[in-house]
Amino acid sequence: MQDITIILQILWTSLGTSTYDVLFAVAFALVLKVTRLFNFAQAAIMTIAFYTAFVVVQWLALPAFVAFIAMMATTLVASYLLERIGFEALRARGVSVMFVFVFTFMVSEFVAYLAALIFGTWPQTIFPTIFWPVTLYGNIAVSAWDLPALGATAASLAAFFAFMRFSRTGQFMTGVADNPELAALYGIDKRRIFLVTMLIAGGFVGLGMFLYGTRAQVLPETGLSLMLFAVAATIMGGIGSVGGAAIAAVILAMIQNASILVIPSEWQGFLLYVFLFFAIVFFPNGLHLPRRRRKFGTATRDVPPPAAPPAAPAAESQA
Amino acid sequence: MDYLYGIIIIVGLYVILATSFNLIIGYGGLVSIAHPVFFALGAYTSAILSRDVHVPVLLAMLAGFLVALIASIALALPSLRVSGDYLMIASIGFQLGVLELIKNVRFTGGPGGFTNIPAFLIRDFGRESYVLLVLAVMAAVILLIWWIARSDYGRAMSAMRDDELAFASVGRDAMWMKIAIFALGSGLAGLAGGLYAHYFRFITPEQFEILQSSAILTMVVVGGMRTTWGPVVGALLLEALPQAISFLQLPPSILGPIQGLLFTGLVLVFMFFRPQGLVPARDIWRSPRKEAP
Repeated sequence: MQDITIILQILWTSLGTSTYDVLFAVAFALVLKVTRLFNFAQAAIMTIAFYTAFVVVQWLALPAFVAFIAMMATTLVASYLLERIGFEALRARGVSVMFVFVFTFMVSEFVAYLAALIFGTWPQTIFPTIFWPVTLYGNIAVSAWDLPALGATAASLAAFFAFMRFSRTGQFMTGVADNPELAALYGIDKRRIFLVTMLIAGGFVGLGMFLYGTRAQVLPETGLSLMLFAVAATIMGGIGSVGGAAIAAVILAMIQNASILVIPSEWQGFLLYVFLFFAIVFFPNGLHLPRRRRKFGTATRDVPPPAAPPAAPAAESQA
Repeated sequence: MDYLYGIIIIVGLYVILATSFNLIIGYGGLVSIAHPVFFALGAYTSAILSRDVHVPVLLAMLAGFLVALIASIALALPSLRVSGDYLMIASIGFQLGVLELIKNVRFTGGPGGFTNIPAFLIRDFGRESYVLLVLAVMAAVILLIWWIARSDYGRAMSAMRDDELAFASVGRDAMWMKIAIFALGSGLAGLAGGLYAHYFRFITPEQFEILQSSAILTMVVVGGMRTTWGPVVGALLLEALPQAISFLQLPPSILGPIQGLLFTGLVLVFMFFRPQGLVPARDIWRSPRKEAP
């Protein structure tokens, strides 16, 4: 039987480390939902984001907030270029899903090799140290990194969901995600919506990579591993559900951290691939939680399907 | 002379890998990046069985083919049950997961690699005999894929790839055809792995990483998909490039990334400016089902 303090500590640490996983999962799930692309080039954006902050802090010796602004700017520019030069051109050519996948994968690999060539293949961090001061609350250790990370993640997600719910652009994004052709018929500019989606996803990736790079070491190929976690969370959360991906990311991060209690630490990384396989085999359509009941007339989803139309002879007799 | 034999063997093995990958991605229309991991499974199976279990090398190579084939079915079956898109995602996880497994278990030699793999043919008949063996297997694989592509099964494969719905509507099972294509292509990669292991006699997980995925994909894309000679041309060209770079005598920490940049950069350039590759087939990348205007 494990000590309750250890379990609480693992839960707290998991919650902290799940912050960047949630942001990466939300970014991947959002792009998939609206543009219907498996955007593995997100790993390239992650790499660009991290090394921008690394250069600003470690090479130029500028303060952290400058690094954050610089990395957000580069992720947004990279996302813009990816959409305008890459995806837009591919959409215009009417290429297959296979082509787009290979393209995004090659972009992320190209950027990883470029980073390896410029920065070397050894692990780097944004700040010289990744050890943060710790305060004990009861017997639970809370690092100076935890609360700002949780706060920033919660605030960005709240802003995002509010934007999706209440802003005109957010509603258009939902419309394009549901039915792009119909949305276009209603005059929604799909081109603009795709760009906005990529920029929002880029913002999440930038924030997530800042959190990750201030807490863990990064290699040029780290982006791809982080991406796989996001993919597993997106599948388990249900493709098309951004909130589901976020919740799944938290649960997966907790399982991965808690696994230290039952398996050796060197197998923790392997657990990620088990998640991915498990998600594809058992939950290809995501984990479905029971829907809460709504008042009659407030939701169209829970309304039973309309009765079948009357048979032709009956209709004729009424006529 | 040994250096030249080594290059011929490497080129021959990459032709096998590129040609078998062309069966999967080109003729079958299935996207997977895990081809190097089946190469690794074949190499490790053959090496472990021959060194530690004392199985004759030829049988060990055959076992490598079978293990790669079975592993590919284990990957494809759950993924393709859902959709083809899931195969490409699962293949990345499978590739990295199997390599992580190889690094963490003892009997594979871990990250340090597996050494003292028994040699085959060389002691009795000289290196030339091994070169001939690899070239013979290479020719057999090219002929096999050429024959499959032009047979009735090949025509059914094209129909399945171009319009899966229509293919299913005439009572054919697309999923099992995809699994068969994937298994055969992956099994051939496993056979190439066995051939690799018993010539170079030392394997490490690092030799089968994502760089290899990029390299094999580049050979097929640059050479030309859905053609017999495209992957052969791609493999020859892409294997000549690293040899040319190696004459610059750069340190390994720079050489690896430069090779990676070349491979991925070439794929991106060809995808945008010459998607049909050097040996063109028709309409390679366009979505097969076009909507009516």
